[in-house]
Parts: sequence; structure tokens; C-alpha cells
Amino acid sequence: MIGYMVRRLLWMVFVIFGVMTLTFFIARVIPADPVAAVLPSNAPDEAIEKERERMGLNKPIWVQYGRYISGILRGDFGVSIRTRQPVIEDLIRYFPATAELALTSLLMGTAIGLTLGVISAVKQGKIADHAGRVFAIWGLSMPAFFTGLMLVILFSHLLRWFPQLGQMPAYLRRPPHITGFLILDTMIAGNWRLVVTELRHLVLPAFTLGWLSTASIVRITRSSMLEVFPEEYIKTARMKGLRESRVVLKHALKNAMLPTITVIGLRVASLLEGAVLTETVFSWPGLGRYGVSSFLSIDFPAVVGVTIFIAFLYSFCNLIVDLLYGYLNPKIRYM
Amino acid sequence: MLKKVILCSVVLGLLALPALGQAIPKDTLVVGADMGIIVDLDPSRAYEVFTNVVIEQLYDNLVDFEGTFDVIKPALAESWEALDDGTTWRFYIRKGVPFHSGNEVTADAVVFSFTRALALDFAPIWMLDQYVPTADNIKKIDDYTVDVTFKIPFSEGLMGAIMGVQGICGIIDPSVVEAHKTGDDPWANKWLQFHDAGSGPYKLVEWLPNDRVVLEGFNDYWDGPPETKNVTIIDIPERAQQRVALENGTIDLAWNLLPEAIDEFKTKEGFTVYETPSWSIDYVAMNAGMEPFGNPLVRKAIKYAIDYDAIVEGIMSGAAIVGQTFIPTGIPGHLEATPYHKDVEKAKQLLVDAGYPDGFSTQIVCQPTSPRKDIAVQVQQDLAEIGVEAEVVQLIAAQMYTLYRNQAHYIIVAGWGVDYGHGDSLVKPFAHCCSTGADAPVRQLKWRNKSANCPLTAVVDASEAEVDEAKKLQMYEYIQQEVLDDGPFAILFYPLNQFASADYVKDFVPMFSESYTEFCGIYKE
Repeated sequence: MIGYMVRRLLWMVFVIFGVMTLTFFIARVIPADPVAAVLPSNAPDEAIEKERERMGLNKPIWVQYGRYISGILRGDFGVSIRTRQPVIEDLIRYFPATAELALTSLLMGTAIGLTLGVISAVKQGKIADHAGRVFAIWGLSMPAFFTGLMLVILFSHLLRWFPQLGQMPAYLRRPPHITGFLILDTMIAGNWRLVVTELRHLVLPAFTLGWLSTASIVRITRSSMLEVFPEEYIKTARMKGLRESRVVLKHALKNAMLPTITVIGLRVASLLEGAVLTETVFSWPGLGRYGVSSFLSIDFPAVVGVTIFIAFLYSFCNLIVDLLYGYLNPKIRYM
Repeated sequence: MLKKVILCSVVLGLLALPALGQAIPKDTLVVGADMGIIVDLDPSRAYEVFTNVVIEQLYDNLVDFEGTFDVIKPALAESWEALDDGTTWRFYIRKGVPFHSGNEVTADAVVFSFTRALALDFAPIWMLDQYVPTADNIKKIDDYTVDVTFKIPFSEGLMGAIMGVQGICGIIDPSVVEAHKTGDDPWANKWLQFHDAGSGPYKLVEWLPNDRVVLEGFNDYWDGPPETKNVTIIDIPERAQQRVALENGTIDLAWNLLPEAIDEFKTKEGFTVYETPSWSIDYVAMNAGMEPFGNPLVRKAIKYAIDYDAIVEGIMSGAAIVGQTFIPTGIPGHLEATPYHKDVEKAKQLLVDAGYPDGFSTQIVCQPTSPRKDIAVQVQQDLAEIGVEAEVVQLIAAQMYTLYRNQAHYIIVAGWGVDYGHGDSLVKPFAHCCSTGADAPVRQLKWRNKSANCPLTAVVDASEAEVDEAKKLQMYEYIQQEVLDDGPFAILFYPLNQFASADYVKDFVPMFSESYTEFCGIYKE
């Protein structure tokens, strides 16, 4: 087990190094000048040259690469061309908002996905099965900006159930910055009324993002459940006279969870992709919007920083999923 | 099971409570705007329009402007006078004006602020150092008097335009900078990126990038405390969301609405719409260094092929006014002339006269965003009518402007924002080019389009040195006429600045340049 983990961690380092190198060079072969992206289009050439020198972009590309790698080895991701802040500080600043959104949406997506998956399997071929699958596919097919706007119009504008955008009302002051996680900081400040307000702000963006995960979770849960239902132990459980809900949830679902866990694990990192659009629609100050702005500005250090961060998260989630396999199914042994 | 159902219902009920008691307080103005552009609130670095909207609330300059930019009004300087031939200007500073820290604004602070901006040498400094190259040009005479010496004699209009530039000419509290400087950062640039040290009507409470800017009224402001005590600007990049936010009361004022939304708010009860021409220009430019655009007849043919009305009414949905000269409405020296209109026959004849009876093939580059990409397609269709086959290539800003600066385009659809409120900031970009090589002293739009014209460049140089404002403006009109007749630009329109607010928001005054918008006079009924 330990040896397996070490091997996986080494592999992770290799993957991240590869991603870093590729991103660095791909970002630089684009025929675009990041300085031109950062300064207004009417900035004179002298201002452009001055800024280029300041950014170190007048140095040969190998020198820039060497500096970048040695910087990263020292924990320095460089300074963002656009925000002029150390990239690591930017990542730390924007990550908590995305993490709050992604985790909530994963919980929502998983809860809805599992419920619909189980109902679809139990009611196979019936109207509930079809309805559940249509709902799931709908979420996957609709782009987040469309889903988001529709939800806003319905639940915020017409029904006025949930706030439209942002993490909290504009006229309220944020709690003191302690962890960077807004809800956690508000809890620490003991402002429970604001916590409820913030949770209400989280509902629409989290649902928009979570809906994306629902489709794959419904599909995999449904098919795994259908595979499990004919098994002998399910028949035995029913013959013992257990209630159907207990048979389905305790015996069938638990054994059908293995592939579902894989899908959920992979969705964690994919949520960051979805967060790009969702954060823009809901004015959510997270990593997704930071990433988009960085890509559009050809902000080399920020682009590489975001990419490495996502690569790390992806690899890390894969590792966790692999380790969870062993926990859920003791028959699996690590080589 | 029943317990779980009840628990879930309570949680959902709490979360789904209608937005009771959530109206914005009367003493707080909430503005919704796309402000992803803000990256630094240090005035010495502020260049982007919306950054300057915030800077305007935090810092004061020596001089300011009335609504139209032809009248200079006192700000931190209560009066001024030209010494000798107008090269040196003397400013008399208002006494007893406090910074947000409580320290007084003095001549030392003025000298310090200009010295700091020049020493930091950030991108926007060119607007100042082209005329005030070193800190030696700013001298303290006594505690409330400062002399500024320009490189050339200045008219009052040009003096006001330069000293009124936001950010780099904003006055900063030296003691705050002193308190937050470090060995690596002797001018406290890092600290000022997120804090303020000004004397403006508002103090910066916090700026959370991609989220909000929170401002609090400064009660000791020299011109009286702001009408609205708090201003929060929230970042809403989606224009459709700004519209919904205004409708449902999440914000009081929307900054970046689509023209269609503006049209709806014009007739909708409970809302007010504000419109004013902006300090910007949208244009099509032809590279005279690329065949066949070196031929003036070809350029003229293109100018007559374009359907200006279709662009303004169709693509811009009326959110622009037709304008064909490079000094837009609202800046002194603007020449009112719109000789070009779509005339296919005339355009075809010009192509025949130019030796291209069968037309030619070319390329149009633009950014992949509306309205520029839509304008490019409209121009492509217009050119097809006169036999010119154009391919539209969409490039992101960083790529397109790299191509443009390398003089490697054929036709480009682009825009230009005015840097400071005087024709001086426009005649050089649009009319100064005697050499198309790297040795040219000004390598701006005319240079990028390889359109050399040495006699006209000499007039531009002469206009810079002209101290008589009336004569200077006459020269600007001549230069505009020349560029209109022969230049590489088909200027399409001046976009409108459009805003909408709830109708209880009063005294919002839109400016030609958004960045000079003042929040301190706005109040809620």
C-alpha cells in the first residue's frame, strides 16, 4: 500500500512537470504579445517596451523557462502579468470561493444523481425512470450560462426565492478575513444570520454547476444497480423479508457504489471546468474567472499556475479514488 | 423517516425564504459593473477606464473639469496662472484641505506625488513625462504654491487636460506612503494597490478583485461630504445579469447594459436611462503599406462602400452616433463633418479610376467579440458589393494588437479610447507620421497603417507648440479634414455611454469619459 502510494505520488510529480513544460511553451508559441493584452490598445510603444522589460519578457525563452522552473522549485510561481500579484497569492485568494461552490455543487449533484439513479433503477422502464434520465441529460446538455440565466429568471426574478448573484448582498460588509472561506469566516465571526444569507446565495450557482454532474452519476448508478439486482444476495435479502427500501439502499446501493465513486472522483476536478462559466454568470469571485481572464490576457505565469493547480487537483482526486476502491472493496489489492 | 422529511423541509424553507427586508439601504448606492479590468488601485498605475472610475472617487487633482471638458474648474488648486510664455504654470493650493489620514494637502504633497509617479515610471506616465520629464520640473514656492514647468509653452486648455489626468496627476498623502514603504518598495506601491492615500470624496474600505469595491464617504471632504454615505460597486461581468439585477433591486445603477436592455428601460416605469457620447472612436483602418491600400483612390472607395447607418442603427442598435473625424464630440476642436455615406456606384468608379475594375482580395482582422466582429462582417458584405473579396479573421486582443503594432494587417476593425481631454491626445496618434520605419518618433495609429504624410506631420508638430488655444483648435480642424480626405481611417461612429438606474437614484451625471464620473453628488430619494 505504501509502495503503491509512493509510486503514484512520483507519477503525479512527473505528470505535473510535463503539464507545466507543455503549458509554458504552448503559451509562448501563440503569436500574441501579453503586454499588448495588459495595456490599453492606445499605449505608445515606449510604454509597451518598458512594461515588457519589467516583466522579463525581453529575455530569451530558455532563460525565462529556467527562471520559471527554478522559481517553482522554490515555491515561487512568479508574478501575474495582469494582476501584478504573486500567482500563488492569487490562487490562494480565489480558491476558497471556488472550493465552496464546487463542494456544494458536488454534494447537490451527488445527492440528486444518486436519488434519481436509484429511482430509475427501481422503476426501470416506467415514467419515473424516463423522467429522471431526461432531467439528468438536460442538465448535461444545457450550457451553464443558459441554465444559470434560466434559473435566475425563474427563482430569483420571478419567484424571488433565492438571491441572483455574488456570495452575499452588496450592501453588507464581509466578515474579517481568517480562512478565506466566506461561510467559515462568517461562522467564526458568529454571524449566523449572514451564514443563512450566504447559503441562500450559494443555492443557484451550486445547483447550476451540480446539475452538470448529475447526468453521469444517474447513468452509472442506474446501470450498476441494475447489475446488482439479479445477484443472489439481493434475492436472499428479499427472501429474509427485509423491507424493500432496506434491500435497495443498504444491500444493492452499497455494492453498486464502486463505479459511482469513480465518476464522482473524476467530477471533482471537472467541476473546475464548469466553474469557469458558472462563476461568470453568477459573478462568483473564484478561480474559474481568474483562469479565464488569465488565458485571455496571455498571462503566462497565471496560466501555468492555474494549469498546474488543476493538474494537481485532478491527479490528487484520482489517487483518492484509487485508495477508496480498497476501502469499499476489500478484494482489491495494491501492487 | 418523518423526522428527516421535517428537517429537510425546515432547511429548504429557511433557504428559500423570499427576500424579505433585503432592500438596499438608502445611504448606500450599489453599482453593478464589469470591473474585471481593475488590477491595481495605485494611482500611478491606473490606466484602464474603470480603474479610473474608482480612482476618481479616492483622489483629487490640482484641477478638474466641468461636465464638458472645455471648462477647467478648481480642485486642490483654487487658482493658477501662466508665468512667462506659458511654459511654467503656478498653482495656488487650497488651504486646510485634509487627506483621508487627517494630514493637510500642501505643496510638499504635490511635489511628492509627481516625483513618485515619475520615479515609479509605470505605463501611463507617458501622458505626463512627455511634457514634464523630471521631478525638477515641479518646484515648491511656499507651503501652498507650486510651479510646474512644461517642456513647451502650454495653452490653458492643454495645461488643464494634462494636470487633470487621473491617477498619475492625483495628489497622494506622503506620510501614508512613508508609513507603508519597505526596502524593496520605497514608494509603497504594493500597499497602495489595495489601499488609498487620497483626499477624494470617498475612502476605500476594501477592494476584493472580481468581487467588489467598497467606498465610504469622507465627511471632511473639502467640497462637502458626499450625498450618499456608502458606495459598493459589485462586479457583474454578464450584461444580462446586470439587467436582471437592476430589475429585481439587487443594484441601483447598471453600468454595462446591452443597447436592447437600455431601450426597454427607456419605456419601463421605475427606471431612468442616461446617455452621452463617449470619449472613444470605432474605426476601420487600411494599411497603406499593403497593396492596394497605398492608393488613395482605393482608400476612398472603401470609405464610400461602407454602410455607416447600418452599422450604427443595426449593429449598435442606436447606441452610437455617426462621426467620421478623429476628435470625438465633447472634446474641444471636434470637426463636425460626415461626408462619407454608402454609395456603391461612386465606390466602384473610384476602384476603376484606381486601376482595380475587377476588385481585389484582402483580409479584415477584428476581435472575436461583439460589436467588432459584427462590424467586420458588415464591412465584408459592403466590400463584396463593389467587387472586393475580404476574408474576416478573428483574433484575440493580444494577437490582433501584436499584428497591428507590427504593421502586418490589411484592414483592421478596432477602437480608440481618448487618453486625456484635449485634441493633443488624438492628433499625434491619428495624424503624426513622416516615416514608417522604426525610427519614427510617434509610432501610433497613422504609423501602424504606414500612412506617411510629412507636411501634415509638420502641422501636428506646430499645433503642439501653439499657445493660443483658438489657433490650436483651428489647426486641429485642418488636420482632421486632411485625415478625413486622405487618411487610412474610415471612422465609423462614437459609441454612447449608456447607463440605467432605478428612478429613486437622483443626480447621476454621465460624463463623456466614464472615468470622470463622480458618485459624490448622487443621492437616493
